[in-house]
Amino acid sequence: MIKDAYGHSVKSFQVRVQRQDAPGAAPYWQTFNVEYEPDMNVISVLQKIATMSRTSTGKETTPVAWDCGCLEEVCGSCTMVINGRVRQSCSALVDRLLEDNPREITLQPMSKFPVVRDLVVDRSRMFRNLQRVKAWVPVDGYADMGAGPRQSRGEQETAYPLSECMTCGCCLEACPQFLKVELERKPNESDAEYKQRCGEAYDTEFLGPQAISQAVLFNAHPTGKMMAGDRLDALAGPGGIQVCGNAQNCVAVCPKHIPLTTSIGRAGRAVTIHKIKQIFGGS
Amino acid sequence: MDAAPSKPTDSFFLRHEFLIRRLHSLCGLIPVGLYMVIHLLANASIVNGVESFQNIVYQIHSLGKALVVVEWVFIFLPILFHALLGFVFIYYSKNNLSNYPYRGNYRYVAQRISGMIAFVFIFAHVLHLNGLIHADWFRESIADAIGIAQFRPYNAASTAANALHNPLVMFFYLVGMLACVFHFANGLWTMGITWGVWVTPKAQDLASKICLGIGVLVSIIGISALFGFWQVDVDKAKKREIEMYEQRSKDGSIYADEHKLSQPLRKSGAGGK
Ligand code: SF4
Ligand code: SF4
Ligand code: FES
Repeated sequence: MIKDAYGHSVKSFQVRVQRQDAPGAAPYWQTFNVEYEPDMNVISVLQKIATMSRTSTGKETTPVAWDCGCLEEVCGSCTMVINGRVRQSCSALVDRLLEDNPREITLQPMSKFPVVRDLVVDRSRMFRNLQRVKAWVPVDGYADMGAGPRQSRGEQETAYPLSECMTCGCCLEACPQFLKVELERKPNESDAEYKQRCGEAYDTEFLGPQAISQAVLFNAHPTGKMMAGDRLDALAGPGGIQVCGNAQNCVAVCPKHIPLTTSIGRAGRAVTIHKIKQIFGGS
Repeated sequence: MDAAPSKPTDSFFLRHEFLIRRLHSLCGLIPVGLYMVIHLLANASIVNGVESFQNIVYQIHSLGKALVVVEWVFIFLPILFHALLGFVFIYYSKNNLSNYPYRGNYRYVAQRISGMIAFVFIFAHVLHLNGLIHADWFRESIADAIGIAQFRPYNAASTAANALHNPLVMFFYLVGMLACVFHFANGLWTMGITWGVWVTPKAQDLASKICLGIGVLVSIIGISALFGFWQVDVDKAKKREIEMYEQRSKDGSIYADEHKLSQPLRKSGAGGK
């Protein structure tokens, strides 16, 4: 059982949640009292809050909205800011969090993405950024083309960690160079029009370490390589790798321990060479 | 650059963001960083005596009228470009050190703070000693009154030392110089990542140590220079400089130019002779 600073065992604790009713609406805080049980994670705390739907002062309220999927830290959808630090809520264990502060846990949505509601954010920018750097292997048909080129053991070993990215957004949340882009929806704007406008706004903003690292992954792939030039152009385009300020927060917070700064270094080198060739070699 | 993913409707900055940012990065090393190291080395010659420093200044001023052009093209404009763009970059970033107190993040923030200190310091330093405007009317009416533009190349050590002989001024120079050196050494490290010279964490660690070494070395050079100026006896130095001036302008190894002295020789009676 968890003990507080005075040695009393904890029976309940407070959860402060930063809430927001709709995109663009003003955020506000609510506090909930949650009864302690061993082995809870933040998702089970949120489930308890949803069943109570009552703040610590007894006021009835709407259930807090949140997102989750795999519950085992592989999908990234439950990412939020817990006690000021970005991480997955499914793997955030209450016992550990109460060790830091036995009275209170704070939950906030990620600050770099538009809030949909409460703790749910719109991470579509990350997927748009994957499109910007063409983070895929080009296959243009269903015909069986036989086995692809072989990858050496070494290549596999550098590629595998990069392929573990779950597009969670932790690295972007912690990156001081990655800034929030949020467009207000115009009256009568259709979903498609709004999405289009957001996409265009995202396209000139910083790609961030996640997309840079994925570009590196696919540029190292024997078939993916065929589009290496396009990816390097995207990395040197508006909002490209040049925006990185080398704070290296990304690598420190990535829950998958992806060597993001190594990817940034590799991409930096490749882009340097690519640009010199382009400028002086005319290719 | 046909395949560049920027659109013609993007602003000039966005279309050329990569080149502008890389130029900003390069500029920090060449010419700005390199100049700073040479400048501090030259200044540190004061440790060896008034003559050594004066001789180096003679050499620099042997460029004559071209010196102004060299100063602006290779020093002032690159510094302005690097600094002003730096301020724009700082504006478009969001520091989060309190939530993510990692070493890299400290360095990231320190790089920006030292850059801002360096800008203020360099601006004040250039005004204080160089003054930028070398016309007589400016000196006589404004500069002398408010204590700027104090350096005289043919009284190099004495005017520099005189300007620095104040504990507050000295402290300001020490802080400013160390901020510049930190910004240079740490910038060298991040530049190596940016350009892809050191890529893996191991290489970056090694590079970090080397950059630290460079930073310490340059700091020692800078501190020696300041210490050297602190120790100069202004009156003695002035006398010696005037002797040197009379001799060297007679044998023609420097341009005779009394504007580059503290006072014209005739009026001052050549130091009491
Ligand atoms: S290293 Fe670059 S991408 Fe990573 S957190 Fe720092 S600025 Fe962002
Ligand atoms: S790189 Fe790491 S932190 Fe960033 S999105 Fe992928 S898994 Fe998340
Ligand atoms: S629910 Fe999938 S990572 Fe947390």
